[in-house]
Amino acid sequence: MSLLDTRDLGLIAAIVALGWVGVWLLLPHRHGGVKTARVYGVGALLCGIALLMILPFLTPPGDLLVGGFFYAFSTLALVGAVLMITSRNPVNSALWFAVVVLSSSGLFLLAGAQFLAAGTVIVYAGAIIVTFLFVIMLAQSHGQAVYDRAARRPLAASLTGMLLLGALLASIVATGTSPRAEGETPLSSSSITTAARPMDDPVALVVSQAVPETSRLPGLREPGETPAHVAGLGGSLFTDHLLTVQVVGLLLFVALIGAVAIATPKAPVRPDRSTATASPGPAA
Amino acid sequence: MIDQTFSFEFLSNYLIIGAALMALGMLGFLSRRNLIVMFLSAEMMLQGVALTLVGFSRFHGNWTGQIFTIVMLTVAASEAALALALILVLFNRIQSLDVTLWQGLRETGLPETVDAGEAEPYDPIPGPESYPHLTPSGVEPPHPRQPWEQRRG
Repeated sequence: MSLLDTRDLGLIAAIVALGWVGVWLLLPHRHGGVKTARVYGVGALLCGIALLMILPFLTPPGDLLVGGFFYAFSTLALVGAVLMITSRNPVNSALWFAVVVLSSSGLFLLAGAQFLAAGTVIVYAGAIIVTFLFVIMLAQSHGQAVYDRAARRPLAASLTGMLLLGALLASIVATGTSPRAEGETPLSSSSITTAARPMDDPVALVVSQAVPETSRLPGLREPGETPAHVAGLGGSLFTDHLLTVQVVGLLLFVALIGAVAIATPKAPVRPDRSTATASPGPAA
Repeated sequence: MIDQTFSFEFLSNYLIIGAALMALGMLGFLSRRNLIVMFLSAEMMLQGVALTLVGFSRFHGNWTGQIFTIVMLTVAASEAALALALILVLFNRIQSLDVTLWQGLRETGLPETVDAGEAEPYDPIPGPESYPHLTPSGVEPPHPRQPWEQRRG
């Protein structure tokens, strides 16, 4: 008995094989050797074919506009991810990472997570990328360093990554296509469970106890009525997860202190100077 | 009232994109030698997990996945601050971002992944190592500071 039919299995195997060879060709040479433009072209072609073969597993959501945006964002995220891990210049890597973050925040928006889309753009694409670029410019070497032109065992690493991708894809697809009874979903959604079962049913009782009223997504309203997206998220965040907010605030504070303590520039202690003047140690 | 429009097929869209980002991030983390690019790859793995969580949040019809993602964003921000500070310290120490220069930190008995001839040479600063210390703040107290040994006795 096989969980996947032959077509899906063949597609996944082809994605793994093409992605393996393609990413290996795109990655830097193991010993920092030069690759010709033709090698890059073949690698990009193989990666593009592997990317196109992922698309049949996706279901176009909603109408044409939503589906088009979904495919555009997901393709952009995957292309940006491949270019991020294969580009020689760390500045280019950081900018492609920004592309990945922006397109995944577009996917957040399509899943109805407005606040997270805005927050991801502000925190990741704004703050973290700028910090990365600062560090890259501080640590800029003259020309391209040898560690940017050489990869660490690219053949084995790309095989490992693509095998992980194949295993994850196979398990997700097998969950969706597994044989089941009529009207049964592969995963039971907790909102549908509470709605479909009577209130004295033990499963519905447990689910409704575990998920309080404030933490449920707003339902579908009449057309023209705006659902309370950010207000609902804030309500859930500050009632059900108040302790989490405080712990996370404490974590940010500790990280701030730690970063200041670690990154403060210090003159290295050298044997030819007296250590008493260099460090503010105990006054004798 | 229940949103029935987000079925398992749409959830699996998000799961597949998230899984691909996760696998590509792991690939980059394993194969690149630049510390900053390795760290960016780890951030991309987090981004894939965030997509998965947001998809599950919509599928189950509650806010919990999105709140988990907010916590993850915060942890990623703190992690970025600390890791970039550490990378700066490491760069100041050996003037290079090559991760293979830090192979002395590996477990005992494991072979080197890249032979030393390929890694960039570096000359260590002589003398004892300096470690981070908190910047002293405020007014120095009038009494002479005593070391811990004397105060304890």
